[in-house]
Amino acid sequence: MKSHLWGGSAAIAVLLLLSAGSAAAAPSCGLNNGRAATGEPIKVGAIVGRTGPDDFSSASRAAKAYFDCVNANGGIHGRPIEYLVEDDQWNPEVAAQVATKLVKDEDVVALVGNASFVEMGVNAKLYEEEGVMAMASGCAVAECFESKNIVSTNEGPLPSSVGAAQWAVANLGSTNVVCIGLTIPSVGPYSCGWVEKYMQSKNLAGTSVLLDPSAADMNSAFLEAVASGADTVLVNLPAGMAAAFLKAALESGQRDSYKWISSTPLYDRDVPAMLGTDWSGVMYVNIELTPIDGKGPDASNWRAVLDAFGTADDPRDTFSQAGYLSARFFVAAILQQDPAKLDRATVTEAIRNIKNYTSDLLCGPYYVGPGDRHMPNHANMMVQMIEGGYKIVGECMDVDSAYLDPYRANEKALGIVN
Amino acid sequence: MMASDPPVVSTPALALWRSRSIGLLLLVAALALLPPLLLASLWLKVLTGVAIYTLTAAAIALLYRRLGLVSLAHVALMGAGGWVGLRLAYGLGTPFEVNMLAGGIAAAGLGMVFAYPALRMRGLYLALVTLMIAGAFAIIVNVLQFPNGGGGWSGFAVKSAGYMPRPAIASNDVGYYAYCVVVTALGMALIHWHEIGKAGRAWALIRRSEAAAMSSGVDVPFYKVWAFALSGFLAGIAGVLLAGNLQMLDARSFPAAESVMIFALTIVGGAWNPVGALIAAALYRLVPALLNDFGVNGDAAYIIFGAALIHALATAPRGIAGQLEDLASRLFGRSNGGNTR
Repeated sequence: MKSHLWGGSAAIAVLLLLSAGSAAAAPSCGLNNGRAATGEPIKVGAIVGRTGPDDFSSASRAAKAYFDCVNANGGIHGRPIEYLVEDDQWNPEVAAQVATKLVKDEDVVALVGNASFVEMGVNAKLYEEEGVMAMASGCAVAECFESKNIVSTNEGPLPSSVGAAQWAVANLGSTNVVCIGLTIPSVGPYSCGWVEKYMQSKNLAGTSVLLDPSAADMNSAFLEAVASGADTVLVNLPAGMAAAFLKAALESGQRDSYKWISSTPLYDRDVPAMLGTDWSGVMYVNIELTPIDGKGPDASNWRAVLDAFGTADDPRDTFSQAGYLSARFFVAAILQQDPAKLDRATVTEAIRNIKNYTSDLLCGPYYVGPGDRHMPNHANMMVQMIEGGYKIVGECMDVDSAYLDPYRANEKALGIVN
Repeated sequence: MMASDPPVVSTPALALWRSRSIGLLLLVAALALLPPLLLASLWLKVLTGVAIYTLTAAAIALLYRRLGLVSLAHVALMGAGGWVGLRLAYGLGTPFEVNMLAGGIAAAGLGMVFAYPALRMRGLYLALVTLMIAGAFAIIVNVLQFPNGGGGWSGFAVKSAGYMPRPAIASNDVGYYAYCVVVTALGMALIHWHEIGKAGRAWALIRRSEAAAMSSGVDVPFYKVWAFALSGFLAGIAGVLLAGNLQMLDARSFPAAESVMIFALTIVGGAWNPVGALIAAALYRLVPALLNDFGVNGDAAYIIFGAALIHALATAPRGIAGQLEDLASRLFGRSNGGNTR
């Protein structure tokens, strides 16, 4: 973990040096008038899994940087945003406690930048009952995309793994994909299950190998993958476990017998160095947002905001992009409201009215709408792992899955143009 | 069959019990009704967890205190009880109380199965066996998952979680907290009732010497199994209460390490006094929540627990509750002989 952090900071330092020219550009946030907001604060919450199996807080860190930037630039018509971030410790009970604190005790107007493996499933009901919206940024579970009051900027494992399989079928000639996932029901069976369905819909073969996160045996998982008779291995695991799985595969000497694809977790600036050169040119990764070194206005502004208002060790990854974007869309939506009348009801209404917001960080438009489920982001890109980084090999492509049918119906009703 | 044991049920003790029971009733009522008036929703939620784990800690303490048995499987027993409760809630739509009793009975059955090795083993070996059972449960439940309203016998489907209904009289957080306090108090009364009765006398003899107990006609295997069944029953009840608190359960809440943690904290709290169970549960649920609220990294609680365990083992064999008791008797000059070992 420590070496990981050091590697991350070193990589960030290098990137800072390399991008010194572009980073000098001043960030642009909210009203962008350079005046500090001093009015009555607007409370906004976030719940992230910071302590536990992994630190999943990069989204809230980016959102915090953006809100700080907004507060330094006129706030919400003079009112600053008070951003309260809670740690769910990857524990369902704690997740329920901190949600109660934010929603009932602190009376936040909305939650922005949530990233968790447990929080959404436990709290979806509370959010709906209390009429508060969660604009999440790091969703990994089905509940995130099947709840009335949760909308996420990232896509979650389902579109990401189906997107990877879809690209492999079209570009690598894959005919039999084995999906390596976690047993956590609304994560592994949800995403790998829909990969299987995608393969079947194309008259191809798909299987799943699911691992118990607390007792993962990578060698037996790899043997199970071999036994499935697949020609393509889809690694759909958190980065640390994915690295362990790939190591087991490498040690077996069978790397070259398979085509290798992965969902988003392997898209992180530190991963190519962590995996070493063995996977350069071999591994193809699906990315839920556009590349972290993109040149568009939001990609540049995201980095500028983090440089100016974040810290050097805030990760610059997909979830950080998603956190920035959730915060930016949230601010854009409530800036259109009467600042004197900002309360939970008007903010919830404003978020629900978000329609056709665009960003170069996303492949498609962002919207919320009144539906009982939300997944605005369901197109993605593919990159190839190369020595020390990634190379784009697949431009934005919408995910082809029957799972998306209800979302597309919502889009049609709302008049969203993809 | 058993020789009566007059000194234990002497008249003054009964009188004391009677006067105390009214005080205890008032205490339970105050615990159930006052916090919602004074505390924010967060702390009410935390205290609901404390109330539930008090029952678990009391169940662990019973085995440790009466039979000297170390059970490292009680969080797994809670999970088993919770599983059955959830299954019934989704499968049959039975009332919460029925689900709770069924969860308790199922966990009692499991407890009796655990008791089988306990008939032959003690100490470290039994602890290891129970730890393995907790590990096995964690793996099984990770495969099966908790029922979430799906079909089939496992009641699990890959879909968004359903929400288990709470008892009709306690559907909001305030009511549910009071409900948990009352159920926990009833559970602890059940333990007390056993301890002052025939079972308690049998356990006391067994703890002193199994051979002596057998020679005085105590059915040693029966009473050992009975203690496990009672302890498992209460843990199962606590498991269903936990399911009702979140209105769901997550397999990731039941790793074997949690069973070890709650056992260690039961020792820290004090297994010899009912207050010890409350202290154990407060350490287990309230301290991490306080730390989290102060913005301290959640893992810091483990450091505190480690220090507390060393403290308890080194200086306070009767736990924090025992120390408080000593302090109270020193302050008020009242001997408290009935509560020592």
